[in-house]
Amino acid sequence: MGLTRASDRGRAGARDIAVWDPLVRMVHWGLALSVLVNGALTDEDGIVHEWVGYAALGLLAIRLMWGIVGPRPARFASFPPSPGAAVRHLGGIVGGDRTVHLSHNPLGALMVYNIWLTVAALCATGIMMGSLRFFGVDWVEEAHEAAFSWLMISVVLHVGGVLFDSWRSGVPLARAMLTGRKSVPADRPVA
Amino acid sequence: MTGRDPQARRAATLAALIVAQGLCAMFFVGDVIADIGVDVAESRFHLPLEAFVATVMIFGVIYFMIELRRLLTRMAEMDTGLRAARGDMAGVIERFFDDWGLTPAERDVALMVLKGIDNETIAGLRGTVPGTVRAQCTRIYGKAGVDGRAQLLSVFMEELLAED
Repeated sequence: MGLTRASDRGRAGARDIAVWDPLVRMVHWGLALSVLVNGALTDEDGIVHEWVGYAALGLLAIRLMWGIVGPRPARFASFPPSPGAAVRHLGGIVGGDRTVHLSHNPLGALMVYNIWLTVAALCATGIMMGSLRFFGVDWVEEAHEAAFSWLMISVVLHVGGVLFDSWRSGVPLARAMLTGRKSVPADRPVA
Repeated sequence: MTGRDPQARRAATLAALIVAQGLCAMFFVGDVIADIGVDVAESRFHLPLEAFVATVMIFGVIYFMIELRRLLTRMAEMDTGLRAARGDMAGVIERFFDDWGLTPAERDVALMVLKGIDNETIAGLRGTVPGTVRAQCTRIYGKAGVDGRAQLLSVFMEELLAED
């Protein structure tokens, strides 16, 4: 095709398309960092653990507001939670469809909502554990633990999905979350 | 972040401010929640004041978000205009085709339409029949939100003639 154009910094024959704005990226890495810090480093009963938890909730709140106010790829409307679309997307992968999604792909979108809900559940049960009313209540603590286990499973699936889709679509996704730009091979259609 | 041009730096700064202020707002909201039901003897204005600060900060965050969205939109528009000015029409056309979500076949046909090639010739070049090309054109015009060939061209003329 005559339109193929080596972009300023991209690979030869790839188009660089700006998708992730700085706020999306900061919230993403901030949330990843707070999960890492609270999951592995802080004392579970300590004040730092609580503060990091509040920070994670704040980041989540910012992202949810940005999902309404923000630019197109960041908006909820660009990646509605749709199991039907996810199943069709799976079928497409098997059938060799190589369309590149500029926002999250339908499977990725489900993972995004899953992780947000899980983090929200972690924060809610965490706050409850610190409150007078629910302090020491067993089921709250168990729910907190269970949400954390589910979050770890989700993170593994998320990273696996990113690696798989980077390989499948030829778009380095982790780099896109760092630089904000998806480098799409010239012969791929985008959606 | 990229930090390549001042606009991108401004966007990154604004985003960092939003995150910082959002977290500060979260701190106050958390404090308000913790204080509700607890008898704060020090001052009966403590809770309303905190609630007021939290509300003001949240409105600040929303305002910054709207500003950042504007800045990002302007950056995208400037990028398109700059490419058109540089004579990089191919890049501009690519951007529009991406926005419209054209399939590879439709991109091919749309490009030939822009070059002024008629449907019969396009069909010949692509090894299909004119009916197929006409159907593809209809889909392209639909996705682009235009009435036909002339209007499709005018979308790109607009970029070349844009003043700012």
